[in-house]
Amino acid sequence: MTPNGAFTLGFVLIALGMGVPGPRGVAVLVALTLAFALIEVRGASVIALKRAAVVVLPLAVFMGVVWVGIVGESPYQIASESAGTRAAALAYVATLCGRLFFIVAVVQLVFLRFAKLTPMQIIRALALPATVKRVLVITLSLIGTLRHAVDRAHIALIAAGTLTRAPSWRNVLHSWRLVQAVWLSAVTIMVGRMRDKWPVENTIARLDDTLANDNPAWFAGDDRIWLPISLGAAVVILVADRIGEAL
Amino acid sequence: MARRDLISGPNFSGRSAALMALLRDGAFASESFYIGPYSEAALSGLSSTIADEIELYGAMKASFRRPPFSLIDVAAFSQREPQTLSGGEQVLLALHCFSLSGYRALAVDTALEQLDQANRDAALDFLDPRRKLIDSVALIDNRLPPPLRGWRCTERPADTTGLACDPRRVVADLPARRAPAITIRGLTFAYRHGRDIFRDVDLALDAGAAYRLAGPNGAGKTTLLKLLVGVLAPSAGEFLLGAEPYRPWRQGNRAIALATQNPDHQWCGATLRDDLSRRRAAFARWVDPELLADARMEALAAALGVHSLDAHLYELPLAARKRLSWLWPLSGTLPWVMLDEPSIGQDLATRTQLAAAIGRLTTLGYGVLFVTHDDDFASRIPHQVLAIGDAQVKAG
Repeated sequence: MTPNGAFTLGFVLIALGMGVPGPRGVAVLVALTLAFALIEVRGASVIALKRAAVVVLPLAVFMGVVWVGIVGESPYQIASESAGTRAAALAYVATLCGRLFFIVAVVQLVFLRFAKLTPMQIIRALALPATVKRVLVITLSLIGTLRHAVDRAHIALIAAGTLTRAPSWRNVLHSWRLVQAVWLSAVTIMVGRMRDKWPVENTIARLDDTLANDNPAWFAGDDRIWLPISLGAAVVILVADRIGEAL
Repeated sequence: MARRDLISGPNFSGRSAALMALLRDGAFASESFYIGPYSEAALSGLSSTIADEIELYGAMKASFRRPPFSLIDVAAFSQREPQTLSGGEQVLLALHCFSLSGYRALAVDTALEQLDQANRDAALDFLDPRRKLIDSVALIDNRLPPPLRGWRCTERPADTTGLACDPRRVVADLPARRAPAITIRGLTFAYRHGRDIFRDVDLALDAGAAYRLAGPNGAGKTTLLKLLVGVLAPSAGEFLLGAEPYRPWRQGNRAIALATQNPDHQWCGATLRDDLSRRRAAFARWVDPELLADARMEALAAALGVHSLDAHLYELPLAARKRLSWLWPLSGTLPWVMLDEPSIGQDLATRTQLAAAIGRLTTLGYGVLFVTHDDDFASRIPHQVLAIGDAQVKAG
């Protein structure tokens, strides 16, 4: 499977998940996602589920407290001015968080499918215009720069006795200083790079050589199996519940 | 025809500007690979992993190839982020990437000073014109005195700017003090997914002495400093400060003034006044307020070449920032002074004065721990060597 194929499949799955299918549609969607996870991602699927849970659980707890515990009715019931129930509020929270869980899990599954590739190798393998690939590399570079700046600011503020490595009230009190130090560091790193390294080497222009990768095909290998299956499943998901209702 | 240019001279004589002017000269090369001081100018910044950094340069179109310069264990490090390497390892990685790339010319601004002697010798051999591996090389290096056989040497004249400094003046009036000893018991530490850097290490650091941490690039010298100031937490082991348990990663640093290898890893404000006021607030409970007074700090900063507390740190030249990074340790505010590669990028006169200032600190009763690959600089400071290797620290 190519990164193009996996990203397209992921896009289709998420679009279908956002399409609010009925119970039959959801069953087909989950079956298709599980098949992708078990066949293509295998054991690493557990990591995807764990990461999705870590992202969604805090939101689920918060929404549960607000909608089920405090408000006691769903937004639809409030809008229609009908009698509210906690069960409806719980169903609303479960649907919303379930959908978010699904989206995060699919994104994780797609990336874990290529866990053995480095970010640069994934971008090289994408069949995209050079400009788009370059933007992707520079976006990752910016994220990396911010992480590097956070690391530098931590070193500075911990060594200076302002913060501690372990969680502390001191860290909460001085968090704004961390933010300031991070931004100063990020700007300095970028300036150092853009003033000397990149102009001398012509790095960004030469990046195109690296990213070209002999123009990879849009879809190849197992893409030709997965994409027709996903499109077929999409039709089933979209019509399954309507047929059920018509009958 | 191999061309080699060594640009020498004191700090602030315009060496880096001369290097850049040389690179723009069409007679030198149309495009050059550049290795500047510290990671932001040594590495591309476009790669999330070391494997990507190598691929970035290795996949560039090249009209010729040279044998790779491989002094770094690329396979072991491939999935790590380039910025997590030590300073010396980053320079070795940059040289490796250059050797794989199609660039015919190389420019190095003081970066080789971060290498241990064996790696430095190998790097200088790689640049040697007789090996004919590179068309053109431009180099700034404070530890390479001209003349150099086969190299065109340009000596930049001294520029008497207002940045003149003398670190000895910073410590001239310091009172004597008795720093508490530092005891380390059973220290074990490894980076995530990495090998053991320290395994069950016992170490006693007495006050009134200077210790030089020695070892090859990547051995763990900077890591030990980071553990002692609380930036990193050990996997096992304990520290004592005097007779008291000391857990800087939990309680915060309260005894050690650190000057980092890259001075920009040290600032906690935009101006020197901001930086000092934050340190003052953090250490107010443990430090004599007179030592932290603005007037005193301003006078000490002037001795290091910066005449205003309102100087914007990031607008100062790099060599001036490096000198200013010594202010906090040399000000005598805290009993232990730790300096990571303090002599990098500094001319001989300043290195000599800094060594004298460090020597005076030890005679006053401060404890000093320093890291350097510069044997000449270290030889000017009476010190004991602590050799790091194979996850152990041994007095040698």
